[in-house]
Amino acid sequence: MIFETRELFRKYTDDATFARIKEYDTVGEMWALCAAEYADTPAIEDDGRVFTYAQLEDDVAHFRTSLAAAGVKAGTRVGLLSPNSYEFVKAFLAITTLGATAVILPAQLDAGTVFGCSMKFGLSALVAHPALWDNTAVAAARRPDLPILSAADTAKDATAAVPCDKTTPCVIMFTGGTTGQSKGALLSNGAVMQGTVNGCYGTKDVFGQRYLLVLPLSHVFGLIRNLMTSLYTGSTLFICRNNKDMFRDIAMFRPTIMVMVPALAEMALTLSKKFGRNMLGDDLKVIICGAAAAPPYLVKEYDKIGVALLQGYGLTESANLVSGNPESLQKPTSVGIPYPHQEFRIEDGELWIKGANMLEDYVGEPESAYEDGWFKTGDLVRMDDEGYLYITGRIKEIIVLANGENVSPAEVETHFNALPFVQDSQVFEAVNDEGSHFLALEIVPRATEAGGMTKEQMIAELEAVNATLPPYQRVNRIVVRDTDFERTPAMKIKRYKLEG
Amino acid sequence: MTRQDIVERLKDILLSADDKNREAVEACTEASNLATDLGFSSISMLYMVIAIEESFGIRFEDVGMADFQTLGDVIDYIESKLV
Repeated sequence: MIFETRELFRKYTDDATFARIKEYDTVGEMWALCAAEYADTPAIEDDGRVFTYAQLEDDVAHFRTSLAAAGVKAGTRVGLLSPNSYEFVKAFLAITTLGATAVILPAQLDAGTVFGCSMKFGLSALVAHPALWDNTAVAAARRPDLPILSAADTAKDATAAVPCDKTTPCVIMFTGGTTGQSKGALLSNGAVMQGTVNGCYGTKDVFGQRYLLVLPLSHVFGLIRNLMTSLYTGSTLFICRNNKDMFRDIAMFRPTIMVMVPALAEMALTLSKKFGRNMLGDDLKVIICGAAAAPPYLVKEYDKIGVALLQGYGLTESANLVSGNPESLQKPTSVGIPYPHQEFRIEDGELWIKGANMLEDYVGEPESAYEDGWFKTGDLVRMDDEGYLYITGRIKEIIVLANGENVSPAEVETHFNALPFVQDSQVFEAVNDEGSHFLALEIVPRATEAGGMTKEQMIAELEAVNATLPPYQRVNRIVVRDTDFERTPAMKIKRYKLEG
Repeated sequence: MTRQDIVERLKDILLSADDKNREAVEACTEASNLATDLGFSSISMLYMVIAIEESFGIRFEDVGMADFQTLGDVIDYIESKLV
């Protein structure tokens, strides 16, 4: 099935706004138009500095001169090692508008890994933020041929952008899955632009927004759903340098839209209750939640304070979100309807995708991302009659029981997560002293709902839910945890793995 | 503000974040380890820092999990900021 779903999103905004959502082939084409149209609008606020679209374009043009002097030209690959900062934005736009490919190196990489990436991805130059300069030391010592530029550099003269087309490689980003090894996914200009435009669908207010960035720009939702969609829509992006300052930054900047993981959205809600005021500010209208399932409880609580919490589903490989849910109150467990120009296939429950937003391929990996032209997501999904998508689990997380039954932990967890006092849950395979395998459940209670309940009361309610499940899905042990689950740097829950 | 006052306010903050942790929080001492005794994750650390700033009217410099091992370390930091 091919999805040309653009028209489905029309009703969520006015006609004039919808007509402005146009598609572009390249970052350079989009940026040239935005820099001209929104010249005097603030584009980026970072570290006390405000840069308009015109100033950003001016700095980008001068940085293209520095890059060109270092031998960067169309078709070359340039490493970008920078924390979230104005300098990241400037360097990213300069690299991509020269027709080169930006290889985004996450800021936490050590010096040895930075050097390793310079070899693996065949970098012909490396741009580093002054704050991370020490991490270029190994590359500098072992690759004397590699020009290393400071992202804070500025050349005297400007250099014009180099036109390219939608097939031109744009960016290599690391996949940061909760399972498996991280890989470099190559996204073309066309894919990045499709991902950027997809970020415009499903909300009432699209252009001239105020984004507050808390996700890393080395993450696809940081780079594309925050930065690129913000630039595309003539919005202002405030870069929160340190998450602990998030609420101070919010009070000052008053964002209208934020993209965050559900755990942060939940934390903001708990803090708001504790201190008796909306910590996310009165101007916030939309929270886009990705990377993990947001519980229906959160959607409802945010609705009470006039904030639409919209879930989406996406991968690094899909250059931002594959689907978005504009009807989160009616369908709080859905990740939404597919964005345009994609083809979906559901094989044995697994979602396969083709589309304008999909990666070219992995870089430097022995195996292709595609099989017979399809990207297999590894995610188990179902789609309802109205075309809304629901994630039911991940293939790699499937537990095969001794009797051959396949159990998707995520699917079983949704039943327990429906209890208001369950904040997070994890169903996993455990082994007893006799070596028998069985299904176990651990939950982290939600403080605000579990206040008056004893563990025994919680377990009784969980047992009641357990009894309604098909026998093969029932868990044999229930533990109410005193502490949170271990989490990845992106704050996703680390799944338990059976040893051996 | 005495050290004991700070401890009581901290307990209040920790309970607001994590009421299920009541037993551990009520039994905690200055020697309690944030990660192993109180089960802190990166999110609860962030919560604690933000709630302390709100509640005590102080500002943390750039801090991470590694900067505070025990509740006593956190109290030391708050005291140093209150003087």
